[in-house]
Amino acid sequence: MDGNEEGPLMDKRAAGQETVTTALEDNLRAIDIPPRPLIIDRIRDEMMQGDPCLRRVGQLISADVGLAAGLIKTAGSPSFGLRTRVRSVADALMLLGLDVTSRAVAAISLRRAFPNSGHYVRFWDASARIAALSGWLAQEVSLPGLPAADAYTFGLFRDCGIVILLRRLPTYMQTLARANGDTGRSFTAVERAEHPTDHAVVGGLMAVDWWLPEEICQAIRHHHDRAALASFPPDLPTLSRRLIAVSQTAEHLLQQLSGASRTQEWAKLGEVCLPLLGIDEEDLRQMHPGATAIIQTAD
Amino acid sequence: MIAESFLRLVPERSEIIKRKGTASGRFRLRVRAMTGSPPARSDPTTGFHLRNAAPSVVARLFAATDRVPASLCAMWLDLDRFRQVNDSFGYAEADAVIALIAGRIRSVAGERATLLRMGSDEFAILLSAVATPDAERIAGRLLATIDQPIPLGGILLRPSVSIGITWRLAADDPLSLLARADRAMGEAKRQGGDRFVVVAAEPLGATSAAWSARQDLEIESVLHASLATGDLDLHYQPIVRPDGSVEAVEALMRCAVGGRQVSPLQLVAVAEKTGLIVRIGEWILLQGARCAARLRAQGCPTKVAINISRLQLYSESFLGNLHAALICARLPADAIELELTESLFVDASPVVQANLRGAREAGVGLAIDDFGTGYSSLANLKDLPATKLKFDRAFINELPEDRRAFAILSAITRLAGELGMVVVAEGVETAAQLAACEAARVDATQGFLHAKPMSEEELSQWMETRKAR
Repeated sequence: MDGNEEGPLMDKRAAGQETVTTALEDNLRAIDIPPRPLIIDRIRDEMMQGDPCLRRVGQLISADVGLAAGLIKTAGSPSFGLRTRVRSVADALMLLGLDVTSRAVAAISLRRAFPNSGHYVRFWDASARIAALSGWLAQEVSLPGLPAADAYTFGLFRDCGIVILLRRLPTYMQTLARANGDTGRSFTAVERAEHPTDHAVVGGLMAVDWWLPEEICQAIRHHHDRAALASFPPDLPTLSRRLIAVSQTAEHLLQQLSGASRTQEWAKLGEVCLPLLGIDEEDLRQMHPGATAIIQTAD
Repeated sequence: MIAESFLRLVPERSEIIKRKGTASGRFRLRVRAMTGSPPARSDPTTGFHLRNAAPSVVARLFAATDRVPASLCAMWLDLDRFRQVNDSFGYAEADAVIALIAGRIRSVAGERATLLRMGSDEFAILLSAVATPDAERIAGRLLATIDQPIPLGGILLRPSVSIGITWRLAADDPLSLLARADRAMGEAKRQGGDRFVVVAAEPLGATSAAWSARQDLEIESVLHASLATGDLDLHYQPIVRPDGSVEAVEALMRCAVGGRQVSPLQLVAVAEKTGLIVRIGEWILLQGARCAARLRAQGCPTKVAINISRLQLYSESFLGNLHAALICARLPADAIELELTESLFVDASPVVQANLRGAREAGVGLAIDDFGTGYSSLANLKDLPATKLKFDRAFINELPEDRRAFAILSAITRLAGELGMVVVAEGVETAAQLAACEAARVDATQGFLHAKPMSEEELSQWMETRKAR
């Protein structure tokens, strides 16, 4: 139900042991945010070796069929920036390199680490579309130092704090509705008026725990922060500001094309986002056909 | 003598040329010297006057300010720890950083200032008709502007500068004025850098600051690598009540540099300097809260004490991070305790006070760390929002022989108890020290006598063993 199955290794375990393990994992999940998948640590261990072995990492990933399929699909998607067709885990590893693979694995593991039922399904579907559009948009604006893989990963992780807070704070659903509708205050200011923290801080904390790069962590922490986007001299690294701009623009495109606009973010942030990407509203309109195709692919 | 000391530095010029940028740049400079054409008067990296032009440039300013000599102000700037940037990243990157910082200096000093590059990481600013308050204001802005982080090779370089300020005296020649500013800078550096020192007249004595920046930079790079790979580690040291129960465990950051463990104090100093403390601080809050939650789940409920640095408390996002960690770990606020030094408790910054108040109102415990090492004030004690007072190990070291130390320990323990604080003695290493602490009626003790800092797994086992007893 929660989509957090551990792959084929799990099937080989004795039934009794499996129950104990599941109980322990449930217990851990009850008290904690989703722990970083072990596979990320394994890839990092391999990267620390003087002579990392792609084959060994490939074997680790292939041992988890769901992860392997996810990696091939992600690496092959137009959002990830590879022009070549990806047929195997080995292809993906060779084309992406260990660092980006580790990020892709984090992105794929994210959804599996959370419950995947009820209203969460809609949430993750929306995140997946924004991530896909972000990766594609990063290539369309083709700014130096804005990797599509980073834009994609950020798009997925950006709002994971919302899921954590929905599970922790009983009245958070109502807060979300108010934050989405507020035309004056920032999204996080509405959250902070009702709770001691907000989804950007919680998401940033989880990204730090999953060892995502600092620029992505900072972008998560500040993705509703107009002042941080517009300040000069900048408070945030250029990559962080561009990641925020890409994902906000992607979300705006999605809302324009699907006709469903339930947030006020573009009214609050749009005018600082477009200059960060070096485009204007007219450029954006010309992107509509391409964006529509990407949304269909993502679905 | 002064002129000599200045001239002695001139041979370094060849070194500066050697260091500069690209091969073609070197070649050009060398050709100029050989053909006897006048040496370049402005530095290509910064656009400032070169060091060898200093005597004539300053002499011209002297002539222009002859009527009111005292209005000519000289500032000497030396970037802190910059040599290590050269060594670690190479001269091309270092030059790019220098160019950026030179731009910052120019933007603060203004168009009327005369700017000189006096060494690879040293600059002089000369300002006419500037009074003391203006000069101090400019120096303050220089400190704040140069301090902005610069991304370099995957890390965030946090430059800082030491500044010496002086004014022209009647007896000065150009070189003696600069030399006095240089010595004032040396004093600023001796006081720890990242500050300015004003010298009106009397020259300061020579200073010899020991500089351990190389090691700092090494720690910095390891911290960066650790943050990228998840190699940081927290260890926990129990705080034990006289009846043997565990009052709390203190979380301590661990990181090895070149196979040797670096002290948490040194780690925090470097992390603060480089801005890494924000990320590390968040990570420690989350890991500490998770540890407390897991210990609870295992039936060993205990508080986890987490050290909080100055920079964290100066951040407006501190309370949000603290709550995020508590929410993520599903932990009640009273299971966490923050340890901070007394100077932070009395810090006048409204942000610090709001953070302390907010933490306390949420139910998070606040401990005064290292009590007895600074200018501890008993009068302050009644006003601090602290729930715990931790006597520094330096104080406990004196026990049991030093009867005065014992008298202070027992008197303050009684006083703090009446103010509602729990008293802990740190650094308890011998049975005699433990006996003295217990005789002084401290509430709990911490030190190697009970246990050294250990991994979470070792701590769990240690607690299980004690429970079994």
